[in-house]
Amino acid sequence: MSIIPPSGTAEDAREGMRTEAVSPRSRTWRAFVRNPFGLVSLAVLFLIVAVALAAPLIAGEPGGYSADVLAPPSAEHWLGTDNIGRDVYNQIVWGARTSLAVGLGASALAIVLGAAVGIGAAYFRRLDTPLGMLIDVMLSLPILPLMILVAALAGPSISTLVVVIAVFSWPEVARVVRSQALPVVDLTYVNAAHVIGAPNRWVLLRHVLPAVTPVIVVSVVLTASRAVLSEAGLSFLGLGDPSSWSWGTILYNAQRSGVLASAWWTALFPSLAILLLVVAATLTSLAYNDARNPRTRGDSAR
Amino acid sequence: MGLLRFVSVRLLRGLLTLWFAVTVTFFLVRLLPGDPALAVASPTMTADQRAQMLSDFGLDEPLLVQYATYLGQLAQGNLGISFRQNAPVLDILLERLPWTLLLTGSSLVVTLIVGVPLAVAAARRQGSALDRAVQVGGVVGQALFVPTVGIFLLYVFGVWLGWLPIGGAMASDVYGLAAYGSILAHLVLPGLSLVLLQLGPYVLFLRTSLIEALSEDYTNVARSKGVSETKVVWVHALRNALLPTVTLVGLQLGFLVGGSVLTETIFAYPGIGRAIYESVGQLDFPVMQGAFVLLAATVVVANLLTDLMYGLLDPRVRQT
Repeated sequence: MSIIPPSGTAEDAREGMRTEAVSPRSRTWRAFVRNPFGLVSLAVLFLIVAVALAAPLIAGEPGGYSADVLAPPSAEHWLGTDNIGRDVYNQIVWGARTSLAVGLGASALAIVLGAAVGIGAAYFRRLDTPLGMLIDVMLSLPILPLMILVAALAGPSISTLVVVIAVFSWPEVARVVRSQALPVVDLTYVNAAHVIGAPNRWVLLRHVLPAVTPVIVVSVVLTASRAVLSEAGLSFLGLGDPSSWSWGTILYNAQRSGVLASAWWTALFPSLAILLLVVAATLTSLAYNDARNPRTRGDSAR
Repeated sequence: MGLLRFVSVRLLRGLLTLWFAVTVTFFLVRLLPGDPALAVASPTMTADQRAQMLSDFGLDEPLLVQYATYLGQLAQGNLGISFRQNAPVLDILLERLPWTLLLTGSSLVVTLIVGVPLAVAAARRQGSALDRAVQVGGVVGQALFVPTVGIFLLYVFGVWLGWLPIGGAMASDVYGLAAYGSILAHLVLPGLSLVLLQLGPYVLFLRTSLIEALSEDYTNVARSKGVSETKVVWVHALRNALLPTVTLVGLQLGFLVGGSVLTETIFAYPGIGRAIYESVGQLDFPVMQGAFVLLAATVVVANLLTDLMYGLLDPRVRQT
């Protein structure tokens, strides 16, 4: 299994054009299903989504304070309680909603921005230098301190988190999309489209966008998992949405009340939840990448 | 001549990055809803006191005048006055900067010292159990949440085993040689968290470039001349494989600095990151802004140093 995503070449783009008995999409899917890593992590992702959707059915509202302060895991409190007696299990189940909402929302926004900038830079030559420079500059800056500043100024809420994380994560997407789109815009069929007088919009939508769609799919998952980490990080620093539950906020409360060292369950379980979600997302996207790449797919069709 | 041109282009880019960082933060702070004026002025003030306070901080001027003043002051090393501590932001942060540099710098060095042999071993025995372990570890490592790693280390080595201190940068009652020992002991856990965070990308990246280098003609020539395999790997292949890794350092520095903010928070390490955490709680915007500018400047300088190293490692840069 190759872990490194294959560097995109024009070959990948051309591959989609080939007509064979088995469509490329179903070939990719078959290879994906054969990889146990990919299947298990996809199942884990679905499980987390199911937990988030079913939160009101499987866990009580975590807001209730109780006298059971810092109770270790027991039959009554599966994952223990925190410093003011809130059930950790309930907080984690409800926190899955925040993590997924912020992760998917920020990722969607960052993908749209990043893909537009990346394709724009590759396609419109005049824009390439300034946009490329903007991407480089944004990528080299320490983003977390900047996110902290903006989140603190704009006031903590889920929509603030989504926008802040998206605004500072699109350059990574733009970089990948741009490098994938650069060889495509010079291919013969793109030139042919220009020659027959196709408008830019048509060429972009019909030729360039389909060629970079696979990297965008991988980016959605990776950007979402990074956004989950950013959300947890900001919440851990006390910038989470105060009206909803978040895995990072559980850790923040444990850190602030000084019970991290003594009440291990307040730190372990939210940490495990974050790890599970992000690792599953990463492995899913890698398995998809491997399944798409003829060299690592492991079937004879190349 | 080539090197000079290379360096001056990079220097210009560094300055541009810095200007961008400064400008973005300046306008963000002024235009976002969290009004700095509200943060300074307390509701119990009279209107006169409030106006006096705003003009003390220069917050009553037009935006562009404030921007020009800010840039001018910045050029002289003035980052403004903290809203809460009533001291120059630069003084507050410069006191913290050495700790952050020590923490991030040493973790980067340790990452490379551990990572290079690991990548070499994995690349030499491609497909072996070690190679697979490195690949899986690298992927999981990229998915780690910094506080998780920090809390885990703190719990195991600080609380459970009790080997290492769990917070601060040094004990207050030690002098001379013991003080260095104390600094080192306090550095281990936060440093190790950052090493674990960074190791994955470096090892995976270097492993791939090494495998590529090891299948190139020049390594085969070296082998057929009778050069030992160890020398082929460590001398011939590694030098070329390290080049893209040096570029990776530049890309990873921002992440490293972000990681240090979280790590310093967990271990109560008195660096810039901890100052950011404290200023978030107090809504001390000048400190947050100054900290970001200072960290961005640090990253820009570190990037320049890696660029310089790249120029020295790669003769092609010097010639063209």
